[in-house]
Amino acid sequence: MNINERKNWIRLLMAVNKKQIKQLAEQITSGWALRYKSLPQSGLGMLKLRDGALQEPFYLGEIPIASAWVELTLPNGDKAEGAAQVMDDDKDLAEALAVCDAVLANQLVGHDLLTVLLQQGANKLVAEQRNRKQMLKRTHVDFSLLGAEGEYDEKN
Amino acid sequence: MGYVAIKGGGLAIKGAEDTLDYLRCEQGDSGTPLDMDTIEHQLRFLHGRVLSEGGLYHPKLAALAIKQSLGDTLEAAFALRAYRSTKPRLLETPVLDTSEMRVTRRISAAFKDIIGGQMLGATTDYALRLMRTELLDETPEAFRAIAKHWFNDERSDSDIPDTFPKVLESLRADGLLADVDKAAVEEPFDITREPLIFPVPRSAALATMARGETGSLLAIAYSNMRGYGDVHPTVAELRVGYIPVMLPHPVTGELIEAGEVLMTECEIVAMYEGDDDNAKPTFSLGYGACFGNNEVKAIAMAILDRSLQTGMKNGPTNPSEDPEFVLLHVDGIDSMGFCTHYKMPHYVTFQSDMDRLRTTQDKADAKSEGAMS
Repeated sequence: MNINERKNWIRLLMAVNKKQIKQLAEQITSGWALRYKSLPQSGLGMLKLRDGALQEPFYLGEIPIASAWVELTLPNGDKAEGAAQVMDDDKDLAEALAVCDAVLANQLVGHDLLTVLLQQGANKLVAEQRNRKQMLKRTHVDFSLLGAEGEYDEKN
Repeated sequence: MGYVAIKGGGLAIKGAEDTLDYLRCEQGDSGTPLDMDTIEHQLRFLHGRVLSEGGLYHPKLAALAIKQSLGDTLEAAFALRAYRSTKPRLLETPVLDTSEMRVTRRISAAFKDIIGGQMLGATTDYALRLMRTELLDETPEAFRAIAKHWFNDERSDSDIPDTFPKVLESLRADGLLADVDKAAVEEPFDITREPLIFPVPRSAALATMARGETGSLLAIAYSNMRGYGDVHPTVAELRVGYIPVMLPHPVTGELIEAGEVLMTECEIVAMYEGDDDNAKPTFSLGYGACFGNNEVKAIAMAILDRSLQTGMKNGPTNPSEDPEFVLLHVDGIDSMGFCTHYKMPHYVTFQSDMDRLRTTQDKADAKSEGAMS
């Protein structure tokens, strides 16, 4: 997963420790002004799915959602926007992720610290992906006809 | 006779609450409290069931609900459902497509050779159902060794894709399924905001069954399997995996992944039918899906989807084809609530029943005395 693409940042950051994200966002923006373009909020979202048979949409159920959209004003007056919508019910986390999004998108001071977190997240996701693929690999069915050489013949 | 307000149960109710919590902690010094991760991972199927029946994909709260309800699935789902009712609705996702699912299990009963292959994943399908007595005194070391061994296994392979094509798509490409028009479909029915007033669209049925109680769905689907119906399904594909939840980035508008949801999905092929207008006959289909890993529920739902489609089209000929019968009786919270309300005081109504019985008995006595004299 490319850690330089904005579309991947939320997923990568969500893979690391949430407390770490909040602390780092607070540390980076210390002394900066923060204005909400939309208030951080938490609630629910309806998960809309296309059924695989007749291809009709329906609601599978609900998911927790937290969102935030912030504008940062740096000491020199420059402004930067960032936002996050994440499957969680912690709006403080959404705000921290929005700050991270702004810092990374605008290459602000502290983006290098966040890049380290992105890499940590990428490593964790790679490990998770490897684990899931192992489940598939180990349980892949190798069909063979009865009588042909295969698992049964080898063991008996 | 009017209703009477009574008091005096407050202390007893508080005592009952404390007693339940005492039972939860009854092990005392020899026990350790269940943590949320333990419930989510070691009681995976129970956890998945509560997630789907609660209708809210919140793994941490589902684990908490299981803990506080001492493992009662109905109570746990009720707690999750109650929680969701306190939260504001912020958005709905774009229509997600399960062909994007990051699969951990994928099987087909229709073909042995499916594109991408069959992967059994984690399943009890081939278990002998013999007691694993070695787990009675499992040590933490033995427990951890299993996970450690798994991670050390180098058999994993990066050439396995994350996603797989659907089995149904190959049938569709062969002209064995009816064409679908994705653009022609209306907005889905929202069962959390609209009451079920029949007839309801199929999207209402799918949403209701997706958060329906597993046993209820199974029981009605089983009636169809045994002969009160004729779906005769073949599981084209059953898959378990994680579907990425995509939401637009508020600044760029680009779809980004906000998280992922573990779900089970089942697509069944049933008997073929021809249209009235002499169109080419095609297989009929059924669909089941739910949060978490719950294959019985997904298969039962797919069978009921198929039978309900028949009932909606031709009129029901058995209970499993009747949308009103099925959809009003599969919700665990509704049915549990109605059932358990009978435990609540019915002093006035029962007093009335007794009065009526005594009056009727008196009349019967008078009648028999009159007949004898």
